[in-house]
Amino acid sequence: MMRIAFVGKGGAGKSSLAGTVARLFGRNHRNVLAIDSDPVPGLAYALGVQVVDRPIPDDVVVEGAADGPRWVLRPGLDAAGLVEQYAPVGPDDVRYLQFGNLWGSIATIQRAQHAWSQAVRELPADLYDIVGDLPGGTRQPMAGWGKYADLVIVVVEPTVKSLHSARRLLTLSSAAWGPESILVVANKVRDRGDVAWIADRLGRAVDAASPWSEAMIQAERCNLAPLDAEPESDFVAGARALVESIELTYRLRQEVGT
Amino acid sequence: MKIAVVGKGGAGKTTVSAVLARGLSRRGGQVVALDCDTNPNLGLSLGVGDLETERLVTLREQVDEGSSEHAITWAEIVEHYGTDAPDDVRLTVITRIENPEPG
Repeated sequence: MMRIAFVGKGGAGKSSLAGTVARLFGRNHRNVLAIDSDPVPGLAYALGVQVVDRPIPDDVVVEGAADGPRWVLRPGLDAAGLVEQYAPVGPDDVRYLQFGNLWGSIATIQRAQHAWSQAVRELPADLYDIVGDLPGGTRQPMAGWGKYADLVIVVVEPTVKSLHSARRLLTLSSAAWGPESILVVANKVRDRGDVAWIADRLGRAVDAASPWSEAMIQAERCNLAPLDAEPESDFVAGARALVESIELTYRLRQEVGT
Repeated sequence: MKIAVVGKGGAGKTTVSAVLARGLSRRGGQVVALDCDTNPNLGLSLGVGDLETERLVTLREQVDEGSSEHAITWAEIVEHYGTDAPDDVRLTVITRIENPEPG
């Protein structure tokens, strides 16, 4: 089973790619759970899930014991149950779990955060492939998600600032609990030159590249997922290439493991 | 004035902050620009360059790692963890920087 975290600078295209990749996995008959762990969620659009705001409700958790986490899933509700009850099924059978919400208080988000990390920790490994869409910056990739992801995908756009973020995120590979693999995807590229520039500045290969386009901007404005609005676009082609890279990464890992 | 620039990732917070800071300074204000991002790169937009922006991050990391003392007053923070940017803007990185535990 896969546990994938999409990370990168804000606006680089994490949600668009994560949502499209999750659905392509769904089409490949994988059982996918897509998690939006940004306190200001934005993954639903890319998945084509028609929910505006569906956070984990406060009452899924109760206060934990003094020596454990502050909040724990309420008695009778396990990780699989949480997903079944609170993660709606969207197109291509992808389940969508959102822990932040647009208008929630800090306390609400903290409760949801505990529910979410317990769920990711305790979900049976053979139940779901997990595709996580993380907030921009380094906090969640390095502190929260770091322990759970076994593959991190760094999304980079061809700007100096995005490269700075990417370089910091690539240091995850030296972490004690770091992911087994890291892939780099170049997004919003205009041409091959942009891809080469990113690879050169990062000092490593780019595993997939996806261009942006006017059609994608229009699709976003109409609240249409890339895969629904522009299935033949170069952006979706880039996402497909990324899916192949991901599948290959896990396949190689299995072969090495056996 | 104390101005906070907020918004979704990629919307242009850093760029707007930098232009505001330098613009206010040119009009005679004495400006401190505070980078509160977990991935601090306000230095790039202010024009202090790649290396100096990275140096500020390293300074801040030394505090987090405990190899350098915390500054007591905010004047000291601006002094020790800052640098001079164009148009007499003083840039300081005040965010905590996350690093993975080395393995």
